[in-house]
Amino acid sequence: MRILIIEDDLEAAGAMAHGLKEAGYDVAHAPDGEAGLAEAQKGGYDVLVVDRMMPKMDGVTVVETLRREGDQTPVLFLSALGEVNDRVVGLKAGADDYLVKPYAFPELMARVEALSRRRETGAVATTLKVGELEMNLINRTVHRQGKEIDLQPREFQLLEFMMRHAGQSVTRTMLLEKVWEYHFDPQTNVIDVHISRLRSKIDKGFDRAMLQTVRGAGYRLDP
Amino acid sequence: MRLPRLLRTTPFRLTLLFLALFAAAASAFLGYIYVATAGEVNRRAQAEISREFESLEAAYRQGGVDALNQTIVERATGERPFLYFLADKTGKRISGSIEESPISGFTGDGPEWASFKVTETDLDGAEVKAAARGVQQRLENGEILFVGADVDASEAYVRKIVRALWGAGALVILLGMAGGVLISRNVSRSMQGLVDVVNAVRGGDLHARARVRGTRDEYDELAEGLNDMLDRIERLMGGLRHAGDAIAHDLRSPLTRLRARMEVALIDAENGKGDPVAALETALQDADGVLKTFNAVLAIARLQAAGSAPDQRQFDASELAGDMAELYELSCEDKGLDFKAEITPALTIKGNREFLAQALANILDNAIKYTPEGGAIMLRARRTSSGELEFSVTDTGPGVPEADRARVVQRFVRLENSRSEPGAGLGLSLVSAVAASHGGRLELSEGPGEYNGSGPGLRVALVLPRVE
Repeated sequence: MRILIIEDDLEAAGAMAHGLKEAGYDVAHAPDGEAGLAEAQKGGYDVLVVDRMMPKMDGVTVVETLRREGDQTPVLFLSALGEVNDRVVGLKAGADDYLVKPYAFPELMARVEALSRRRETGAVATTLKVGELEMNLINRTVHRQGKEIDLQPREFQLLEFMMRHAGQSVTRTMLLEKVWEYHFDPQTNVIDVHISRLRSKIDKGFDRAMLQTVRGAGYRLDP
Repeated sequence: MRLPRLLRTTPFRLTLLFLALFAAAASAFLGYIYVATAGEVNRRAQAEISREFESLEAAYRQGGVDALNQTIVERATGERPFLYFLADKTGKRISGSIEESPISGFTGDGPEWASFKVTETDLDGAEVKAAARGVQQRLENGEILFVGADVDASEAYVRKIVRALWGAGALVILLGMAGGVLISRNVSRSMQGLVDVVNAVRGGDLHARARVRGTRDEYDELAEGLNDMLDRIERLMGGLRHAGDAIAHDLRSPLTRLRARMEVALIDAENGKGDPVAALETALQDADGVLKTFNAVLAIARLQAAGSAPDQRQFDASELAGDMAELYELSCEDKGLDFKAEITPALTIKGNREFLAQALANILDNAIKYTPEGGAIMLRARRTSSGELEFSVTDTGPGVPEADRARVVQRFVRLENSRSEPGAGLGLSLVSAVAASHGGRLELSEGPGEYNGSGPGLRVALVLPRVE
């Protein structure tokens, strides 16, 4: 997996590159918008991490240019501003996900991971299968080891998201954003309560827990 | 070279331009008057001379040169105001009231007009030169006849008219000039007030305001616009400064705490005591807390400074309330609280969905945090009788004493008995800022009273204005 970081803050880029390399990614860095665009145009990257405010060319222009040229490489947009409008602008320009600085590294990792695998799970499926867990998207049923699990609509959506990102860490913020479709910062861990409810349904009574808590990051559904 | 100030002002230049146009119009008008009066006087004199000439010519045609001669002699001695001169083919004088023709060297047939002077004796016997005009023409058989008239009176009249016209022209220019100077002075003075304000603001005095004279003219309008603009800038600056102060003030203590903990952890690590990883984890948590506080303060400050929430659009408020109910219901159950939601369906609202969601989440977070086990929480979304949209959360916790209700909305205010709970005291301030940025308000009132051993509870309502 090759990641291109387009970011003018060298220290932040260095820390990000270090972390991503530790996680096994092949990382390249461009220090400004123009260099980043040129590098991205060469192709061969799985995910682009693009900062919004940069010298020479800002991130929005970089993403817009790439999209205009038909480049569909997933883009994670970074911004220090974090206003709702910024997110809208970034996504409108063609970014696939958005993260506000300063971010926790596990949050960045989880989002890069989700984006890097997005292409593989892009096909329209009618069933999802993760280990013993099977989900039928047509009649909305879930089975584990052939035993039907009764889920509420939201629990079903939550599990669907976890199954689509099986083996990856997903953060609480990601769940709130992608499952509930809200972008705010809950002061309490409302998401944890929902996960533990889901966990009690899919793991209780089975020999092995599939829904894991990842310390400092969030959750992961293991096969 | 610098022109005097007044001459450089736009109104004065406009005045000059206007004056030039005005002078051109006045010249055309005065020119017309000249042609219509002086021209008419000359034409009339000329017509009389022509008539006299024609009557002499008629006598000539009837009786030849002798008859004409006789008529001239008769008329020259009579009371007629004309001058006569008759000469033969060679130009030799036959008769007339003047000794020689004012038109000498006459070779053609005429008619030839000329202006000339005649010497007359006035009543006092003094000789005066008077303006005269006449026409000379060769008659059928070659004789030359000249008829003229003293036009001094009419010439004088014309001169008077011309003098009057010059005077009028000068007066027009003078009055225009004076008016222009007056107007441009007046305009410049009005503008100067605005320029002074702009200069004062540029110099850093944001309190400077333009004087509104109450004349309801465009200067007043401009002054009012300028003042409104300055009011807004001042408010924004105030908001920013306030936010800056608040951030500085409120981040100092958590940052100091963070630093102290890291220092202790470092000393411990150096001495081989303690767990450096655990210390770093704590430090990270502290840093996250600081960031959270920072973001909340910034969001509040931005909402307050912007005046209205960004990115407002129409959406289903019932759905929002339903989502929040669904999101928080489990947290309530987890804490052993009875949760109920009463949501009127299909409530539409125009606003920023994320900020409103954050506001509702903050209210629910607070309710769950402060309501003891066994209590109850009720979320309501409805349209009031006055058409306002009201989200309310009622809990059965200890409530907030009436005297403190206004205070808990302020930033970083935490009541004594809540200090043991985590939080920075920003929740309700953000709700209040969100409400204000949607033209709404935050209302705190007493809850349902005693409930399951606790109470009296608190009712927090986010009220938004009706959408048309």
